[in-house]
Order: sequence, then C-alpha cells, then structure tokens
Amino acid sequence: MTKSIISIFVFFSVFSSAELLLEITQGSDNPINLGIYEISSQGNEDTLIKNIIQNDLIRTGEIKFIEGVDIVPLPENDQEFNYSGWKLLGLDYVVIPSIKSPDKNSIEYRYRVFDVSRKREVRSSTVFGLSSNLRQVGHYASDGIYEAITGIEGVASTKLLYVNEISFRDEKSYRLMVSDVDGYNERTLLNSPEPIISPAWSPKGDKVAYVSFETGIANVYIQDLATGDRESVLEQNTQISSPAWSPDGKYLSLTLYQDGNAEIYILRLRDKTLTRLTNHYSIDTEAIWSPRGNKILFTSGRSGSPQLYEISLRGLRSKPKRITFEGTYNAKGSYLPDANGNIFVHRAKSGSFHIALKYKKENFIRILTEARLDESPSVAPNGNMVVYAISEENKAKLAILSLNGARFVLPSSQGVVREPAWSGFVR
Amino acid sequence: MVITLNKQIISKLTLLIIVIAAASCSSVRVTNESVVEEGVRGVTISKKAPETQAILANATVYFEYDSSRLTSKSIQTLRGLISVLQNNRSLNIVLEGHADERGTREYNLALGQRRAESVAAYLLSNGVSRNQLKTISYGEERPAALGSNNASWAKNRRVEIK
Repeated sequence: MTKSIISIFVFFSVFSSAELLLEITQGSDNPINLGIYEISSQGNEDTLIKNIIQNDLIRTGEIKFIEGVDIVPLPENDQEFNYSGWKLLGLDYVVIPSIKSPDKNSIEYRYRVFDVSRKREVRSSTVFGLSSNLRQVGHYASDGIYEAITGIEGVASTKLLYVNEISFRDEKSYRLMVSDVDGYNERTLLNSPEPIISPAWSPKGDKVAYVSFETGIANVYIQDLATGDRESVLEQNTQISSPAWSPDGKYLSLTLYQDGNAEIYILRLRDKTLTRLTNHYSIDTEAIWSPRGNKILFTSGRSGSPQLYEISLRGLRSKPKRITFEGTYNAKGSYLPDANGNIFVHRAKSGSFHIALKYKKENFIRILTEARLDESPSVAPNGNMVVYAISEENKAKLAILSLNGARFVLPSSQGVVREPAWSGFVR
Repeated sequence: MVITLNKQIISKLTLLIIVIAAASCSSVRVTNESVVEEGVRGVTISKKAPETQAILANATVYFEYDSSRLTSKSIQTLRGLISVLQNNRSLNIVLEGHADERGTREYNLALGQRRAESVAAYLLSNGVSRNQLKTISYGEERPAALGSNNASWAKNRRVEIK
C-alpha cells in the first residue's frame, strides 16, 4: 500500500476578491407587494441592510418591492398605523425597521412586519449582530420577514458549498469554497493541486465531506469548518467516492470499488462499520438519504442506462424500486425536504442535460432548465429553490432557480464554479 | 409588549435563538436572535512529486459513449502490451479510466473505473498477472482534450496505461 505524505499548511482564510454577483434573469407573475421604511438617522447601515433584505426577498421570486412607502407618515402612537394609506400604495405588507448600536462593535436591528389587509402587526423581531457583519444581520432579518409573510422559513442565511477550478498556464488548482447564498462572503476550505468532487454538508453544517484525488486515487475526507481538521473516512487501496450524510449525522453513505465495480455502502461513523447496500454488476452510485433517513435514492445502470432507484433501509434485502422511466439518463437525484418529489439530472432527446423534477403523485417529469449541460442540482432546506451548475465550453457557473418562477445566476469572476451543495438551516 | 434581554456577548459560534411567544393580547410573533459568527479555517495541500511511470508499457485505448466495451482497435493496442507484461513480470502498470464531460461526475467516475476494469479483464484473460495491474478512475476530472464537441469527447473516453 502506498501511503504518501501530504504536507498540510493551515491558514486563516482571507476574504476573496473574486466574489459572485447577482443577476436576476426572470421574475414571477403574481408577487406579494412589500414596502420597507427608511431609517433617516442611520444612513449607511440602514441602507446596506435594506439592500440585502431586498435582494434576498426578490430572489425568492414571490416578493416585489414598492417604492415610496415613506410618504405614509408613521404615527406617534402604536395604535394608529395608516393601513388605508398603505393600501392605496398597493402594499400587501409593510416593514418598519429600527437600528440601535449599544456599542461601536455591535448592532441591534429590529423589524416589525405589518399585514395591510388584516390591519395588524404580525411580527416584531430583533437581530443581534456585529457591525462588521451587517450582511448576515440582513440575511437573518430577511428570513424572518419572509417567514412572517409566507409562513415558510427563509434560506437567505444558509450557505453554499462548491468546487472552484482555476487554470493558470498549464497548472490547474482546485478549491473547495463556502459562501453565503447570494455569493458573498466566499471563503476557501481546501486548496489542492488535485481534483475535488462531490462536496456534501453535515446536517448541522459544522462539517463537510468530499472526494479528493490528492493521493492519486479518489478518497472521501471529512473536514471541520471551524478548525480545518480533516481525516479520510476509510483507508483502502481502492477508490471511495460519493459521500452523503444521514439526517441524524451518524452515518455516511459511500460508493466503494472493492470488487472493481461501484457499489453503495453505509458507514457508521462511530466505529467505522461498513454495511453493504447494493450488489449488482452494473454501476450503483450517488446515494442520498431521504429527509427522514429511512430510504436511500441512488443512480443505477442496472436497466441498461442510468436511472434513479429507491431502496428502503427498513428490513434487510428490500428490493430497490425504480423511480424514473422517462428517457435514457436520469442521475444524481435528491429529495425535496417534504419527500413528495425528487430533483435530478435528465438527458433530453436532443442530448442536452437539464435539471428535472418529478413529484411522487405525478407520472411525468418537469424539466426546469434549458441550457446544454446543466448539472449537480441541490435543493434548499425549505424546498423552494434549487442551486445547480450551468456548464458550457469548459466554463461553469452557478444558478439558482425558485420553484415559483424566479431564476438568477451567480457568475464567477475567476475560473470554473461547479457542484454546489446547499446547507441545512443555520439559524 | 416589553421584552428585556441582557446585552449579549456575541462570540464565535454562539448560536442563540430565543423565541418568545407572544404572551397576552396580540398575535404578533416576537423573536430575538443572535447572528452566528462562524469561523472558517482553510487547508492547503501542496503538490506531490510525480511518480515515475513504466514508460515501456505506455498506451491509450478509447471507448464509445457510455460504454466500457473494448473495440477491435483497442484490442489491437492491448495485444502489443501482453507480451511486454508477460516477459517482464516485475513490470507493474496502472490502468487509468476516464470519461467525457457528459453526465454526472460520480457516474462518470464509476464509468471510468469500469473501462479500466474492462482493460484489466482482457489482460488477465491473456495471461497477465493481477499483481501487475492496478485500476483507478479519474472520471471526467482529467480530460485529454478540452472543448464540448464530439472530437474532444472521443479523445476523453479512454483508459491510459501507464
């Protein structure tokens, strides 16, 4: 067995200048109209946070901003809000923010949400944060506002994990990156001269797993975000890939190649016990856990072409059930958080690869994207959005689509960005 | 409604979400939460010196789309290898499987492995010792040719023998 020595150099990550930018390409038809008041005395901080909230909410595809709410004066007394004035402006909801700075390093951002048609205040919340991290304060507030309006938890404060490939002359380097969902606050978790693929979040968001080729052969590593500590999950002579965490964080599903062919195993992390899940001469890989952790969805070539199958973890020897039947390529599946459907990569008759959705109750698939090589879909924890990679002519960028009709692209200013993985809720 | 909250010290990895349900009289949902200040530490892996390869047995064989079956041309290429390996039992080779960029990365990693295994199976059936062979896959991660077209894809569906 070859055991190469890897020298590891740990550094505190530096904020990258190569941040991703927002570009909205499509909006929704029937949005909720929202107005946010300006806080005149707190110019810069208020404007920054307000912009962040607006961008976050516009990206959901469900909310439209109406300018000019400030012409409706606010009352001295909390009992006399001018609901009819707001209604005249066409507003469905109104947000009144206020900012306090208890000291020069910290900030208290309070927001009150009013339902105009029901004429009542529906939420009054305060976010405590650092003045140096106003973006995150804005994301927390926008998630709270979104929840107050729709009843659904917002995902602006969640994170994206992805791979960035940079070519410099003939040398390639690979970076595992984490950023906010709007592409800002990009930081490097791993910098390697060898390929990195298949990044995955732990359920709590404190660790990541990924495949690295740093020893010359694919192996799966787990890395702690805060400390940078990392370890390979198993030491084997044969390659290991495709990690996915169980929802309780105790197990990792993996693809092992011990008998020369890709087969799915479950690794119990506590004692590294392996349980074999598939046994077929065709390819079985890309396992992912159902939200409740009682089923595994995977890609198998057993029908002669890659298709999605689901296997129950209750009871041994349960037979995999085929999920997809349309077309000759359906792979890299994942579950919607309520498990009532699957998102996956589908090859159309034209030969193009698209992101597709199949609801359990429907016997047809819905094609969600239209570029030539769309790949690696990952679903937001509230199930309303999907991040994926658009690949064309050796370039790749990330895009997010909302199942409500909005879509935007996160262009990269440096290299290729691919294989996004959406974190769970972090708030 | 009045909420009193001690001034909080916001430190690294403080996760504090206090949700105070609206008490009396109104239906306003009142919450207080502190932003999680997550620290991130990055790791850099330095480049490994390339291992010397068995130049004697260098060759590449190519495959059809989504297939690991050997073509007659591939078999011709491999025939030349068999005698080299049989006459030099100490010679070890690596069969490195690759795929084109179409399809998912993990499926392509598995496909590259099948291609390498397919070459290994042919060599083994012709008297080469298993000890001389190692199969690995790079999937679509190390294309021989760039570009999203048929000519590039054909060059990338391959097993490199090193």
